[in-house]
Amino acid sequence: MNTRRTDVWWLAVLVLLMVVSTVVSIRFGAMDFSGHEIASAVWGKLTGRTDLSLNERIFIELRVPRAILCLLVGACLGVGGTLMQALFRNPIVEPGLVGTSSGAAFGAALFYVFGALLKVSLGGWSLPLAACAGGVLSTYLVFALANTKQEGRSSILRLLLTGLAINALFMSGIGFLSYVARDPAARSIIYWNLGTLSGADWNSVMVVGVATIGGLVPAIAFAKPLNALMIGEQEAEALGVNVGRLKWMVLTINVLMVAVATAFTGVISFVGLVVPHILRMLRGPDNRFLILGSALLGGTLLSLADLVARVSLRPAELPIGIVTAVVGVPVFLSLLRSREYLS
Amino acid sequence: MLVCVLTGCGRFRGGQAETPGPQRIVCIGEAYNEIIYALGAQADLVGVDYSSTYPPQIKHLPTVGYHRALSAEGILSLHPTLIIDDDSIGPDNVVRQLQALEVPMRTFHAKNDSIDGTKALLLEMGAFFHKEQRAQELCAQIDREMAEAADRLKQYKTRPRVAVIHFGRASNVYMLVGNGGGGDASTAGKMVELAGGQMAIEQRGMQRMASPEIIAKSNPQVILMTEYGYDQLGSIEAAKKLPGVAETDAAKKNRIYRIPEHQLMYFGPDTGENLIALMKLIHQ
Repeated sequence: MNTRRTDVWWLAVLVLLMVVSTVVSIRFGAMDFSGHEIASAVWGKLTGRTDLSLNERIFIELRVPRAILCLLVGACLGVGGTLMQALFRNPIVEPGLVGTSSGAAFGAALFYVFGALLKVSLGGWSLPLAACAGGVLSTYLVFALANTKQEGRSSILRLLLTGLAINALFMSGIGFLSYVARDPAARSIIYWNLGTLSGADWNSVMVVGVATIGGLVPAIAFAKPLNALMIGEQEAEALGVNVGRLKWMVLTINVLMVAVATAFTGVISFVGLVVPHILRMLRGPDNRFLILGSALLGGTLLSLADLVARVSLRPAELPIGIVTAVVGVPVFLSLLRSREYLS
Repeated sequence: MLVCVLTGCGRFRGGQAETPGPQRIVCIGEAYNEIIYALGAQADLVGVDYSSTYPPQIKHLPTVGYHRALSAEGILSLHPTLIIDDDSIGPDNVVRQLQALEVPMRTFHAKNDSIDGTKALLLEMGAFFHKEQRAQELCAQIDREMAEAADRLKQYKTRPRVAVIHFGRASNVYMLVGNGGGGDASTAGKMVELAGGQMAIEQRGMQRMASPEIIAKSNPQVILMTEYGYDQLGSIEAAKKLPGVAETDAAKKNRIYRIPEHQLMYFGPDTGENLIALMKLIHQ
């Protein structure tokens, strides 16, 4: 009971951190807005005013949706990482490592190159759907080929190596698409693979928001069965968990969240690895805390990474995938070096 | 909701009245920027894209990044009254953001895909910037130099086989420029033809130098390397180490030349002059 109360306190701290980072990321960027402009822009949006000044509209149509999209995408990637780690009982697994991101990127690249040929247009939903399809395909491929029924060290190694192979396959697919694409489309793909939130608007906030809530709510519901699964599959079965169904559901939630987020922002790696890692160091492996916590901390960290991406080269921008990789790779390597994670 | 839809559709591509007086222009497109400087209209420029590196003094202006990886807020932080782009900017959702914010945007109608197209573009931009006379002078200069080039061409009996290697900065790889195709690649091919050479690579458009066979088989007598890629290698000896290059006649006779991108990859105000220089280079 006592630990639950500490968890609640920690979650409160994480909420606070998220609020602070969001305020900072809304306040600072390439443009400087006065307090008056901000207040007037927010009030204008709420009251549906149509005569907003250019600065007010830049704030409310570019800056704010971008800050919110950061929170949502960070939450998706963080929770996706936590779910995968719980499912594979190994803290080194990350959506980017088991093929979800590269599959989603491949789906999106297919859409970029051949989307114009499609007879049916689904508007703002076409790109996320294409990315989702790619993410589903690659993740299930990795899952099926790695044959993770076996327990222990060899199973996780096989999973990582299969993920490596499938990643390579889909990245070369993306390479092929950018090779055959008309030149401009090809250049879009290259930059999209580095990740950026520069395209954020209220439509993407809505779509990713639906995916975040649609994934987060069932994920929290699965926290207890996932805790049981961490002891072992047979033990979980003994506790009344339908392990086959649980795996399938959790994997689906993960793909939904990660693929939709990736569809709007491109590939942002290592968030799903770093976020649960930090939380686990703080509070241990209880998924009830980890899932909610990684949604909060994921959003916080991505907001800060995006702030760095936006202001470091202004008026140009750094792709955010570069920022997260610089932070994430050392964490990944240090995880690899500590032996226990491979056993 | 209706208002949102209406403003979202309000495309501001050319045609609308520009406000008089000094402008704050962000111009995205290397050829456009070179022409703006040639016209002497650069006073209103407040920002350019990453690829616009000529003339050298343009490097003092802030850059809004690579033209396919722009950020709306970054551009707008320069407080532009007008964004000029050559219709190759991206990503698409950033372009949509700019359109939705009704920032005036303009693309010129004339395309610099031929000598005549380049002159038309000079005149169109000259009219836009109220530098009509300077534009006329530049066109006359092109005509004069093109005539001189045509005259010079008669003295050359051979048509050297030329390969162009361009460093694609979007993908950080060396690209082989073929004959024809769209955009940059087609301009390089036309320049080489006009200079009395022939393109060694027949395949249209640009391709990665993935296989040594491609260039070795085409066996050019002259290799032109655009400056960014050449400078990365640093010397002709290093250039010979690119896949397949060492086997070519060009490498054996040390006929690998550095050439500034703006002299070869797109037509501009100095095209006549550049053509004459290219002619001398490949017929050495």
